[in-house]
Amino acid sequence: MSTAVGLQVRVAQERPMRVHAELRCGPGELLALVGRSGAGKTSLLRILAGLLRPSEGHVAVDGQVWCDTQAGIHLPPQQRRVGLMFQHYALMPHLSALDNVALALLHLPRAQRLAQARQWLDRVQLTREQQARRPAALSGGQQQRVALARALARAPRLLLLDEPFSAVDQLLRQELYRTLADVRADLHIPIVLVTHDLQEARHLADTLAVMDGGEVLQQGSPARLYRSPRNARVADLLGVQNRFQGVWLGPCEDQPGVGWLGWLPDDSDADAPVRRLRVPDKGRIPAGQRVSWIIQADGLHLLDAPVAPGDPSVLCAKVAELRYLGDLSLATLTLTEVLGTRLRLTLAGAQRTGLKQGQRLCVRLDPDWVHVMPTRRP
Amino acid sequence: MDWTALTLSLELAAATLVVLLPLGLLLGRWLAYRRFAGKALVEAAVVLPLVLPPTVLGYYLLVGLGGASPVGRWAQETFGVALTFNFSGLLIASVVFNLPFMVQPIQRAFEAIDPHLIEAAQVSGLGPWAIWWRVELPLAWPGVLSACVLTFVHTLGEFGVVLMMGGNIPGETRTIAIAIYDRVQAFDLEGAHRMALLLFVLSLLAVAASFLATARLARPGRGGT
Repeated sequence: MSTAVGLQVRVAQERPMRVHAELRCGPGELLALVGRSGAGKTSLLRILAGLLRPSEGHVAVDGQVWCDTQAGIHLPPQQRRVGLMFQHYALMPHLSALDNVALALLHLPRAQRLAQARQWLDRVQLTREQQARRPAALSGGQQQRVALARALARAPRLLLLDEPFSAVDQLLRQELYRTLADVRADLHIPIVLVTHDLQEARHLADTLAVMDGGEVLQQGSPARLYRSPRNARVADLLGVQNRFQGVWLGPCEDQPGVGWLGWLPDDSDADAPVRRLRVPDKGRIPAGQRVSWIIQADGLHLLDAPVAPGDPSVLCAKVAELRYLGDLSLATLTLTEVLGTRLRLTLAGAQRTGLKQGQRLCVRLDPDWVHVMPTRRP
Repeated sequence: MDWTALTLSLELAAATLVVLLPLGLLLGRWLAYRRFAGKALVEAAVVLPLVLPPTVLGYYLLVGLGGASPVGRWAQETFGVALTFNFSGLLIASVVFNLPFMVQPIQRAFEAIDPHLIEAAQVSGLGPWAIWWRVELPLAWPGVLSACVLTFVHTLGEFGVVLMMGGNIPGETRTIAIAIYDRVQAFDLEGAHRMALLLFVLSLLAVAASFLATARLARPGRGGT
């Protein structure tokens, strides 16, 4: 037995569904599996729960091996001490909320079982009267809390959440995020959340794992993933707004660690860049290679006053669209020099109040926030 | 009123239930969960007694289990019992004839169980027996109950197969349905009417009771602890 703590997963299977993943999740950490539907997120979750046996894989929690196909080990779900919250909760319709939770505590004598189940339901704030009701007589949010209590009742060593927030409205969701956060503070076990909602993933997760076509493309903190996605597909799946085309022109002779990026307009096949940017260079991309590049909102600054022409990091633009998103506004700018290319800016506070549709303005682009990814030509 | 015939019918219905319920649970659950080549054929075989004329079924059972048949001869030589024109013959016929009435509602009931519930039970630490006892059976119970009622009532009223397999031996194979026919043949319409009415009321009550129980089970609200 190794001393490793938390969850360690390695899965490689082609059939019946392609799942390729190598993941880690420490105790107390929340890992969100994100990706479109059919990306293999739920299949991976089912493998972790023991409901699906991978053709090749290794799953260990706190050094205890739950699945090792090479050694012929595959613990059934009953022996895994895993809590799983299903998308539609999967509560037993013939049992009261209390009995649903008590069902996970069958190893205890009846009186103790009910007492513990009651404690869990008290903790997720279900009244005694609600605890005696069957699921059909509870609201969606209450059912969800029963499902969470049931998943936690057996003191699991791994908690799995399969799109648990998808079936309730925004207001309830916020409430349940708080419940989850409260419970999480005391748990200190790895938590894996499957979601297609990126906002939710960013909100809750310490680590994101982006899945596509059954494969984990990249795992890392939300900040790292948004700043430097491994490739254009990851950037797309993360919903990165400002992604552009370009050509890598090679390193700067005078400054190590910096290279020249040629900006190509979005809707053009031309190889002639309209602008050259000095950006960080990791020395991995050959000169002449077509690239995708992104810049995060942190690297875009709205300028108050017009600047002298000639600065390659200043872009002139026109406000094409303004969308009000509550605390923030989303501005879509059309760039004057890079034809057909749009830049999206999130604005808050004083910056957004003065902005009008059709207005001309300048944006400074901080090259340190530019991340370049190679693309294959179609 | 032919009380002997009524008692015999009730005994036959009860015995049929005892034999057919475990068989129906096993077969119904198996058909609900498993997919295999030739499943349609097995399902068709189960339903066949529903569409075959009772006399056809009775005829084949009579020929297949009679004293001249290999099965009938084997039963006679090994256990010293005949399989036709006695209670065991009626029971065999009744089990075969009621197969669809027992298996189909049970199969539908198990098919209707959300597979996620079984998975939730597994993840909650329940073994196969605990899942069967605490999840599957309670959820399938309305279907199992109506299967039992259908089988019971249907056995009470069965005529064709019973007549073919058992004949009309008072106290041995003369069930209430045959007794009614017997009374009509003897122009004792008064006697026939009393028995027919009793059978009618009995059947109605049994089916209504099962509907009531099913509706009660399906009602949301407070669950027992």
